Amino acid sequence: MANLNIKSEEANTYGAIVIGSGMSGGFAAKELCDKGVKTLVLERGRSVVHNKDYPTTNMLPWEFDHKGQIPEDIQRENPVVSRCYAFREDAAHFFVKDKEHPYIQEKPFDWIRGYQTGGKSLLWARQVQRWSDFDFEGPARDGFAVDWPIRYKDLAPWYSYVEKFVGVAGYADGIPQLPDGDFLPGIELTAVEDYFKGVVEQQYPGRNVISGRCAHITGNAEYYAKQGRGICQHRVLCQRGCPFGGYFSSNSATLPWAARTGNLTLQNDAVVHSIIYDEGKGKATGVRVIDAHTKEMTEYYAPVIFLNASALNTNLILMNSTSSRFPNGLGNDNDIMGKYIGFHNYRGGVSGEYEGLGDFTTEGKRPTSGYMPRFRNVQKQETNFLRGYAAGIHGTRAKHVSYDGLGEDLVNNISSAEYGSWHIGSHMMGETIPKETNYIALDESQKDEWGMPQLRVNVEYDQNDEDMIKDYREQVSEMFDAAGFKNIKTWDDERRPGLDIHEMGGVRMGHDPKTSLLNKHNQLHACPNVYVTDGACMTSTSTQNPSLTYMVLAARAVDHAFGNS
Amino acid sequence: MNRRLALKQLALAAGGIALIPSCTFSEEEVLTAYDELEITASDAEQLQAVIDTIFPKTTLKGGVELGVDQFVLVMANDCLAENEQQQFVKGLKGFGSFTKENFGTSFTKMDEAERKTHLQSMMAGTEKKGEQQLATQEFLAITKKFGLQGYMKSEYYMTEIMPYQQVPGPVFIGKKKIDASEKVNING
Repeated sequence: MANLNIKSEEANTYGAIVIGSGMSGGFAAKELCDKGVKTLVLERGRSVVHNKDYPTTNMLPWEFDHKGQIPEDIQRENPVVSRCYAFREDAAHFFVKDKEHPYIQEKPFDWIRGYQTGGKSLLWARQVQRWSDFDFEGPARDGFAVDWPIRYKDLAPWYSYVEKFVGVAGYADGIPQLPDGDFLPGIELTAVEDYFKGVVEQQYPGRNVISGRCAHITGNAEYYAKQGRGICQHRVLCQRGCPFGGYFSSNSATLPWAARTGNLTLQNDAVVHSIIYDEGKGKATGVRVIDAHTKEMTEYYAPVIFLNASALNTNLILMNSTSSRFPNGLGNDNDIMGKYIGFHNYRGGVSGEYEGLGDFTTEGKRPTSGYMPRFRNVQKQETNFLRGYAAGIHGTRAKHVSYDGLGEDLVNNISSAEYGSWHIGSHMMGETIPKETNYIALDESQKDEWGMPQLRVNVEYDQNDEDMIKDYREQVSEMFDAAGFKNIKTWDDERRPGLDIHEMGGVRMGHDPKTSLLNKHNQLHACPNVYVTDGACMTSTSTQNPSLTYMVLAARAVDHAFGNS
Repeated sequence: MNRRLALKQLALAAGGIALIPSCTFSEEEVLTAYDELEITASDAEQLQAVIDTIFPKTTLKGGVELGVDQFVLVMANDCLAENEQQQFVKGLKGFGSFTKENFGTSFTKMDEAERKTHLQSMMAGTEKKGEQQLATQEFLAITKKFGLQGYMKSEYYMTEIMPYQQVPGPVFIGKKKIDASEKVNING
């Protein structure tokens, strides 16, 4: 018996365990495998193999039963995920349905999840802007959360490293608050965006409009061929999975790369219950895993554990990892785990029309659009709210057909089109202030199908967010007006927190074990062989789409754990 | 998969419809493909006549040829909120008798010009309406909306009228001088 146990323990022992195969877990796995570490990646959802399991990827628009729309009964049963812009007939199979994985909304919160190999990396919006010291120094300067234990210089080489592997299209724009990276050829702005850029940069010093840097391959084809990926063909059907591997996902890039080293074991349907803490050794020794189908529990062991289960699930796993040393969750000596949750405020929008540039249109499609880096409170505090917002800027030449009439008139109307004016739209991406009162916790009695405690989510907007929305609407409207745009409309769509799909925090980084959970290398202060390098680690949110920074932190943490071995 | 099979069965059912005298209307079987609607083959035929009037065959293909009527039923069955669905069904099921009462001839027995004129009048107007009149108006509005979607997302429209390219290629030109001789393509 004893022998058998030792044998199974040996069989279940790895050099490292990575919990989660999404954006950051995939990158951690690739780095570990490249360093020769036998790595077990645990993915709670089903297997999705690049190109093999993209059932809709080559479907033509007319081949969808509902031409893209989600049927009413599915929407009624799944109100949360139905609010996500990408939950459409072509990609619905990559989203978690509300009922299958319940959670408790103490306050309204849309938790959008992707439980499969690659997680949400299949579905992301692919915008990859670097952070700068204006972001890392924010909490210390403005007196919220705690000081980040890292600065831009700590991440800069890792940004370059990750960008090169991912493939990032962009221009060197020379903007202090949005550092340039190692870019492939950029994708140009549309005529109206470029015109707006000129107006803004001339009339509003310190404000810029750029082409959003995006994780798409636009050059260096030979290098990416080694990953089995090709140049982006601008299908802009990314959410289905890309047959060319044109955009970055764990499925197309990091996981197959890791697999080719021979060091990767990827286990699907593996719901992590908790991390095993050995009090004698004073460290984590492994992970308890529930088989999603049989519900049987198995233990896996490794000297180093990477936790990349997605921000809120990483919190859940740690809070569920209790022992007599850590009765409130692994590493949670200060009882702040699950608190200081942040997200991005996407509520504001502005649109307008431009009658100029009438002789021009665009040709082709593009996987990105214009972007205004944060311009509020960058160098110093100058408004009645803290921090600021970035803004998406997307301008297209309208083309209209008339739907008037019936019979031959109607058929004629819809078979010919004419140009309208240029349409320009914007949405805000606001930094939120992580607060103790925005928290998640485990419910004491309600469990899911796998016996895991359900998460209680208690996250809401505050007055700072409201003031920022007001300022965004005023400022962007004013800039649109300055550019001569007409018919300017502005709105607050009052979306719930979470729909930004940029939830962060709960296991924040910091200098001091009394006020933070992770050190500057993303190790739990109180259990340093556990690294948390997904959204849970974020001390503040900045305005930039966060995935790139998660991958950077993951790559850097692997280097810390295993050096140049 | 089931849906496609069901559509094939519907096509067969619709083919046999001419043999069923209208007096046995109420005894017709409900079409299983549209379980939410509980409509019969005669109802489907009625809708087909409406689609044929809204999207007739001209030098371009007509809506019926493109299966637009079947698409409208799929969407009404799967993608409408309950109250809209009730109005749609009420308007559709009462369409024959409503047109007969109001215009003296039921819709399917009208010639093409009459159909068009009366459809237009039924769809227009914001004055106070009776219950069935409202249902008819809503039924027709939904039929036109889904009909447009079905026509404009059909393979025919997206390949021959406004060609769609699934793989446009890596070139994107942000500022291109418009060539007036080039047809404006909403899917281009």
